[in-house]
Amino acid sequence: MESVTHLPGLSAVMIWTLLKVLIVFSAVMGIASLWTWVERRGSAMLQDRIGPNRALLFGRWQLLGLPQLVADGIKFFFKEDQVPPHVTKSLYWLAPVLAFVPALIGFAVIPFGRDFTYKGVPYHLSILEPGNSMGMLFPLAIGAVAVYGILVAAWSSNNKWAILGGMRASAQMVSYEISLGLAVLAIFMKVGGYDPSEIIKDQMASGWFIWRQPLGFLVFFTCMFAESNRLPFDFAEGEAEIVGFHNEYGSMKFALIALSEYGHIITASALIATLYFGGWAVPFMPEAPVLLTILFFLIKLLFFLWVFVWVRWTLPRFRYDQLMFLGWKVLLPISMANLIFNAWLMSRGH
Amino acid sequence: MFLVFALITIIGALAMFRQKNVIVAGLCMVLTFFGVAGLFLMLSNPVAAALQIIVYSGAIMVLVLFTIMLLNSHEEEPAIQARPIQRWVGASLIAVFGAFAFYIVMGSKALADIDKASRPIAGMNLVRVGEEIFRHYLLGFEIIGLLLLSAMVGAVALTKKEL
Amino acid sequence: MGVIVKKVELTWLDRSYVWPIAQGMIITFRHFLKQIATPTSKRFTIQYPDMKKTLPKGYRGLHELKRFEDGAIKCVACFMCQEACPARCISIEAEEFSELNFTQGFEEKRPSVFKIDMLRCIYCGMCEEACPKDAIWLRNEYEVAAYDRLSMNYGKWDLINTYAGADGKARLTQSQESPATPSRPASTSGNQAGPS
Repeated sequence: MESVTHLPGLSAVMIWTLLKVLIVFSAVMGIASLWTWVERRGSAMLQDRIGPNRALLFGRWQLLGLPQLVADGIKFFFKEDQVPPHVTKSLYWLAPVLAFVPALIGFAVIPFGRDFTYKGVPYHLSILEPGNSMGMLFPLAIGAVAVYGILVAAWSSNNKWAILGGMRASAQMVSYEISLGLAVLAIFMKVGGYDPSEIIKDQMASGWFIWRQPLGFLVFFTCMFAESNRLPFDFAEGEAEIVGFHNEYGSMKFALIALSEYGHIITASALIATLYFGGWAVPFMPEAPVLLTILFFLIKLLFFLWVFVWVRWTLPRFRYDQLMFLGWKVLLPISMANLIFNAWLMSRGH
Repeated sequence: MFLVFALITIIGALAMFRQKNVIVAGLCMVLTFFGVAGLFLMLSNPVAAALQIIVYSGAIMVLVLFTIMLLNSHEEEPAIQARPIQRWVGASLIAVFGAFAFYIVMGSKALADIDKASRPIAGMNLVRVGEEIFRHYLLGFEIIGLLLLSAMVGAVALTKKEL
Repeated sequence: MGVIVKKVELTWLDRSYVWPIAQGMIITFRHFLKQIATPTSKRFTIQYPDMKKTLPKGYRGLHELKRFEDGAIKCVACFMCQEACPARCISIEAEEFSELNFTQGFEEKRPSVFKIDMLRCIYCGMCEEACPKDAIWLRNEYEVAAYDRLSMNYGKWDLINTYAGADGKARLTQSQESPATPSRPASTSGNQAGPS
């Protein structure tokens, strides 16, 4: 460490940041690809099936079907990368990147463990240091940008079903963003700040927001499903029933788009855990050791990831008009009422 | 950094004008918005940057692109006849507005402060934005709210045949 | 006649979505736990190449041409099955037969060619029904597959041997039959690389 820090332009802080970026992105990618397995095995278990178990590691070890991941990866890499002749080439190549990058960087502000001090230097366990005054606005902004991957993919495919899928998805994401923002706003108001670490501190002091704002949680939770295009709101691509925005994509480009969906649900569950379930806070242990807080954050994250899978295989898909009805006429009033109710509660004290 | 963001902004804007394809032009505009957001970040105003991305690129441009896709007019129609006067009026208007903006910026008190001040500008955050809006500019805020409301009501009244 | 659909009145609890969704999730999770706790071999799924379904009695699979204990073919080439076959997949050629030291000696007639095109067969069992001699059986073998169309054309000796392995009997070939068979080459039956 000592010799490295003497290199020009490299300080301990920078190394720490790089390390965090590396760890977090590889963890997100790892969980995302792992979750393609959990999705299939878990759905099989939920539906009394068995799921993928034919792929064998070195032709011998079944490992609960985990080698399927490797097999899929190899398949995606070596598949012919076909570009249909009627696409808009540049945008067609750009779209998977546009879909993938927001899915990765949305995680950046979320603290995944307690701050700690080592040799007098404070270290924060989130990629962007707290107090950057971007706070929770960052994931919201990234979530807003995530639409472009879908829109661009849909339009550049030059395929009418792809365009229809993209339009369904974009309309849905734009409509649900409003209730999402209002639900989060109620939390900002209560905390009096919008930095995720402040929100977690507030929750440690006076209880998780799931108990304090159950209505806001419901709205936020539902909107997260819509934002990450998961069932019951998966109008961007509906597997067998509705043709989606990426039906002109194959091989690694498709893999990027599919992985970006999992990246979105990881960010979504991290947001749910941070905003409503105390983030890395360990219940009944205000001074928990750092590793334990990371573990608790992981547990919460994985639980909500599992809930995403669980809900997907429990509920049927909504009809499109039902989706719009729910978004504009149910969730928006509820989130507004939640906001105003909380504002009233706060104003009573003054 | 400033140069990078400024270049992104300007290139995006120019590409938008030169682009015949409406959708690609829209995407170029998104690029411009990102450049502007970067410039806001340089001005140590992350709130404005975030709001720029959320509101402009996240909502408004998506809706614009959505409408373009719905109308299915991907290619711009060629102008029926070229009118040189349009070009001249446009250029002169740009010159006038540019000079005006330059004058305002150079004459503003904040710029003079930057030159003198050794202290860094305090970063903007959501709390300060709220205070500014609701303490100093409340009337303007309310008027804008009313204006937007009336615009919304008007739009609904125009589009909906049977009220 | 139309069916009168009863409209279910939803209570406010059902309308809220929250409680019904929670109920549904509890149900699926119960299934999840049950499935996790069951060992793989006892789950509903029959993992085909490793596990096979026990077929019901009277399952109509691959055909077998039956023989008497002394090895004579039961079929008397009466063409009943060929007539009964809705898919027209059976084609028979008869021949005279007068070897008295076989059971069949009294019958004086047997097939020289008995072909079933398994690609056309629909496994309806009509041939089995039609046979007066109980000579053709549809049994429980269902993995009828080959790499080319020609090997799906089963000849007489293939059909006799279809269940030789399953019954633990030796496969019969033409040379094992009595030398008294007519010298006319009876093996127009395509090939011998039939099923095992």
